Formats: sequence, C-alpha cells, structure tokens
Amino acid sequence: MSNTPAAAPTSSSKSKAAGSSQAPEKRKPLFQKELQHMMYGFGDEQNPLPETVALVEDIVVEYVTDLTHKAQEIGTKRGRLLVDDFLYLIRKDLPKLNRCRELLAMQEELKQARKAFDVDEEKITSLD
Amino acid sequence: MHTLIKDALIDISQEQRPNGFFDLGFVINVGSISPGRDGRLEIEQTPEEDEIRALKRSQTSEEEDNMGAEFTRYPTPAKMQTILTHFTVDQMSRYESFRRSALHKSNMKKVLQSITGQKVSDTLNIVVCGIAKMFVGELVETARVEMGKKKDSGPIRPCHIRESYRRLKLQGKVPKRSVPRLFH
Repeated sequence: MSNTPAAAPTSSSKSKAAGSSQAPEKRKPLFQKELQHMMYGFGDEQNPLPETVALVEDIVVEYVTDLTHKAQEIGTKRGRLLVDDFLYLIRKDLPKLNRCRELLAMQEELKQARKAFDVDEEKITSLD
Repeated sequence: MHTLIKDALIDISQEQRPNGFFDLGFVINVGSISPGRDGRLEIEQTPEEDEIRALKRSQTSEEEDNMGAEFTRYPTPAKMQTILTHFTVDQMSRYESFRRSALHKSNMKKVLQSITGQKVSDTLNIVVCGIAKMFVGELVETARVEMGKKKDSGPIRPCHIRESYRRLKLQGKVPKRSVPRLFH
C-alpha cells in the first residue's frame, strides 16, 4: 500500500517552501486555495500565512490517510470499504458524527429530488 | 467546540463587539457548525443568550420529535435569519467563508483512491470531505484559543498549529497509528 498520492509528478514549480514535510514525497499542494477560505471561515485572518496553510494541508492529508487506513482494517473483514466504517471511527466525536449524518441525509434528499425530477421529465416527453 | 469559536472570534475582533449580539450570533452560529451537543454551551452566556436559549427550548418541542434529542438546541431558520441580519460586514464575510468553503471532491477522491487502491463511492467521498473540514475547524479553533491564552494576535503561525495538533492528539481526536511513522 503506497502512501504517496497518485497524482504527484515532482513539478518543482509548485513544491512547497519551508516549514512543511520535505524530501522524498514532493506533494503538489492539493487543497491550498480552499484551505485558505476555510481557515478564514474558522477564525484565521483573511489571508493566512502560506506556511500555515501548507502545514494544515499536510496535517489534514495525514489525518485522512490514518483514518482511511483504520477504516480499511475494519472494512477488509467484510470485503469493501464502506461509509459505516468511517462512521464507526468517528463515533466518539459527536459533532463530526452528527455532521456526517446531516450530509448523508441531504444526499438522500437530493437523490430523491433528482429521481422525482427525472420521472416528471419522462411524463412530459411521453405526452409529446 | 462552541465556546471555542465564540472565544476565538471575540478575541479577534474585540473592537467590533456590538452590545451583546456578537456573542449571540456566534453561539447560535456554532449551532449550525456542529449540531452535536457536548454540553459545553453553558459556559459564559450573556443575558441575551440565556433568553434566546429559553425561547428555543420552549419552541423546540416539535423539532425534538422530528430530529431527536441531539438537535434540541438547533436554531430555527427564522431565528437564524434574525441573527444573520445582526451580523456586521466582517462577521458576515467570515460566516460566508465558513459555509461555502469545502475541499474539492475530485482532489479528495484522488487521495482516497491512492490510499485504498479501490474505487471510492461518492457518498464516502462526501463524508470524508465533511470530516476533514471539521478537523480543519478544530485545528484552527484550538490554535486561536491557544493564542488567546498567550495574548498573541495576528495571523496563525505554524507553531500555533503544531501546538493545537498536539492538544488534539492528547484529547484523542486524532487517530493514532498502531505502527508509528518512522521516516517521513
């Protein structure tokens, strides 16, 4: 199991500067722009320091990696990796758990709405 | 987490603090961030907040039936609307950033697929993006609280983030690797 992200050609133009994890894996910054807005939303300045953003991105990627590894350990017992594995890992963290439930519920709603929309479309086209 | 945001934002813009609505706005604001209650909302309430909370309790009986015990203190859309009208321009822009920002699903999908080696469903992608966003929130908020305790101000620096990451690890909010990462 490799840890390096699949899309990471070592393009020097975008390699991050001081303060971040260096040498063997040169990760192209994946989430910089979005992270800047996110950090502002959560309490940082309008323009967070680039070193800070790079560090937060590293930490987040590591967090997601570790979480996914743990979920895989649970998931391999049943075969596929499922959402429920992640929900199990999050179970102690109430805010995250509820947010995930919210997101899943919204996704269901959107699916239902799209299905209803498609059915209506069919009715209209069949009338023609 | 709720007081974290409240305290953090109070520290940042002390000058801009209108009478009591600032606190009001952000405690309720926090309600939309993390509907999961962990009982920390009781700390440091202003009289207006007490009133608002009492109002909500009296009106949320049907909401409780619909959404379950965890959502009892979720503000109704109408209340949210009134709070939003009381926001200053600064608060509004920050709130807008908070609501609208998200990690790109395509990037997250790439990362997940390279970690798992399998195809990742869209649902999983969405959930992980949500979890990651909340984790960023925890990092930034904890960093701000730390800065507040040291009376530091200005943009968050990497040392603050490292400190906040260390704290989160102690609280057990960061998954620990069973095999420690040696060379990376």
